[in-house]
Amino acid sequence: MTTLNVREYLKQQPETGPGEPVPEPYPFAGAPPFPTTIGTQPDGMPLHACMGLNSCKGSDRFGLEGHPDPVTGQNVQNECAGQGYCSTAVQHTCHVENSCRNQGGCGLYGTAEEFENPGHNDCRSLGSCATPINAERFSTNGSNQGKSVWARARKVFEDVVWPETRAELLAKQAKGELADGCLLPEKLGPAPKEFHDLGPSYLWISDDNAHRNNMTACGSSGTSGAGGCS
Amino acid sequence: MRHDPITRFTDAERELIDRLNRTLDHDTALAQLKALLQVAIEIELATIPIYLYTYYSIQRTIHSGQQVEPSDVFANKAGGLVMSVAVEEMLHMSLSSNILFALGGWPQIYMNAPASYPTGLPHHNPVGPRGPHGETDVLIPLGKFGYEQLWRFLEIEYPEGQDAVPQDDNWDSIGQVYSYIRCLIACDWIHDEDFRKGEAARQIQPYNYSPDNTDTVYVSGKFDPWTPAPAPGRTIPRDLEDQYPSGAHAAVYANMADSHAGATELVTVTGKTDAFIAIDTICDQGEGFAQPHVPTEPTDDPSKREDSHYFKFLTLQAQLEEYPKYVEQLPADPTPPGPIAPTVGAAELAKVIADYPKNPVTADYPDLLQPISDFCNGVFQYMLILTETLYCVDPKDQKRFFNEGMHRSMIWVLDKYIQTMRQIKIWEGKHQGHIMAPTFENLSLGTREASFAALTDLGNKAIAAAKALAEAHPEDKDAAGNVVYYVNKALTDTDPPGASMHLPDVAPYWNGNEPVFGGL
Repeated sequence: MTTLNVREYLKQQPETGPGEPVPEPYPFAGAPPFPTTIGTQPDGMPLHACMGLNSCKGSDRFGLEGHPDPVTGQNVQNECAGQGYCSTAVQHTCHVENSCRNQGGCGLYGTAEEFENPGHNDCRSLGSCATPINAERFSTNGSNQGKSVWARARKVFEDVVWPETRAELLAKQAKGELADGCLLPEKLGPAPKEFHDLGPSYLWISDDNAHRNNMTACGSSGTSGAGGCS
Repeated sequence: MRHDPITRFTDAERELIDRLNRTLDHDTALAQLKALLQVAIEIELATIPIYLYTYYSIQRTIHSGQQVEPSDVFANKAGGLVMSVAVEEMLHMSLSSNILFALGGWPQIYMNAPASYPTGLPHHNPVGPRGPHGETDVLIPLGKFGYEQLWRFLEIEYPEGQDAVPQDDNWDSIGQVYSYIRCLIACDWIHDEDFRKGEAARQIQPYNYSPDNTDTVYVSGKFDPWTPAPAPGRTIPRDLEDQYPSGAHAAVYANMADSHAGATELVTVTGKTDAFIAIDTICDQGEGFAQPHVPTEPTDDPSKREDSHYFKFLTLQAQLEEYPKYVEQLPADPTPPGPIAPTVGAAELAKVIADYPKNPVTADYPDLLQPISDFCNGVFQYMLILTETLYCVDPKDQKRFFNEGMHRSMIWVLDKYIQTMRQIKIWEGKHQGHIMAPTFENLSLGTREASFAALTDLGNKAIAAAKALAEAHPEDKDAAGNVVYYVNKALTDTDPPGASMHLPDVAPYWNGNEPVFGGL
């Protein structure tokens, strides 16, 4: 185990491990590797629950340090609101474990109302489920039952959270409390192209299934799509 | 969305209502009603550790995704169905508690789980229908999943017959107890105003309940864990003909959102109609008898997609190899299913069912494990106190208190702690060779006001025991580490800025054992 990565280790076992077999070839080779630590954030930007839910250039998991451009190899920041790679909220695993407003994930435990509003919660302990919101996760209650939590979160962000957040940030800019450099467009940019409109795959988050502890999600049915904490 | 209508009174119920009208007065009727509601609360409470014990004996995801074997599929299904019933039992306890609170009573839950196992249900007729081995006792054990344990579950949820009479003691089915409660509510001595002693805003609110979650869901078979969940309005195209469905497509939901009478599942109570609605939801979910008494349906909801508790358990039994061999005394309605394929035999079950002991108590565990078991019991009792405390909390804070108290204690502490205990094989004593299981004892935490301090003391002892366990039994080092983690999660955890992420201390809401409305 000391000289093999997890995937190689799993391949030597008589029983294949969780997630095996993985898709071949690895479909996210063009995306920067999932960052296990959260980069430096621009001043005054709210933290957020997942990919494509950011409020400004440089506000995502890679932060102001940026991510490596696959062509040039140089680090670049995400371009704008809605285009960021993954969550900046304090990572958590389950319902109620969020630290602040709009930092809850969704889909595993919670009520129909909560499941219809992923990434849109009032405050600490009122959010729902793990962040980041992996693309495989589906809602287990409410009108979004059986559908993508991330897609719902992006829709709520576009329709509700971003207009509210943008208005607050514009007001701060007007008062000089927020740097002018952050563009706050009315229309959001697209989420990173590697993930289309599906959100971050756990295959990417787990570095091709090699690091399943990069993110865990609770639940005993094995359907969260992520490494389980139970 | 359509909902079950309120059940009409049967002839037997109308006869009882007439008798109650002739023989009682207001105070007597109210006292009887409150006393019987407390019995109902204790019945619902008694089922919860019984179902949870069996649930945790089921290892649902030994394999996952494309690797699942038939035994895994059955285990996941059994786990999802048992948990789906346990969730609704928690709902039923909440509904009965809301009715009692509305009447000016205070639900007594702490220290009121069964005193020992096997247990009769409170005031249940000790003789019941004939079981798979001819037995007629109604004594429910803490037991691992299996055919006999499912029979005990069927005894709990046994449907009342069409000619059943209301019973307030020595009852034969839970439905008959609630039938008697319905008659007391319906009698002329009880008025809508009687249900306004405990304000609705302080009752457990509808927004705290959800019928399904990731634990009540199970999968229909192999699935591709890497296929994204479909976005609303679209499906994921299959690139390959032999591709397995996504987890989202393979998911089966054990509970349905329309499985209730009235406007919502967890109603608050301000009058007789609300109370009738609450009782209808309880009875329909348990036994599946929707109005009017047409006992031919195994389902309990208008969409006919959620089976009653009784039928869920019978369906699981029908997949076990014993099913065709034994002749249990089942009611004619609903019609029992034929054997369900694929048949699951003992060898398959052994792959997925933890070898839990039967009716364990902490005192029978090795000395080193006893403090770890004590903390589990302490959390169980503290959850019961948290439930009682919900009625003390300022209504505007109830959602947060529910999340930080009830949800965190159940999902983030008790659930994970019990799964941690499941990693430990007992090395000596009465249960040597078995797997460590929760004992769900009425371990006293002292007064409600001092209960968090008592839980903290138990936690410190569990941590010390876990450290000693890691030293003495290196094979249990990981489990011991998890014990320490989850004790800290319950008692001391904070987020990086230092805000509390542990269970709330209920002390501000109690003066000894007397509730203090509004807390601080």
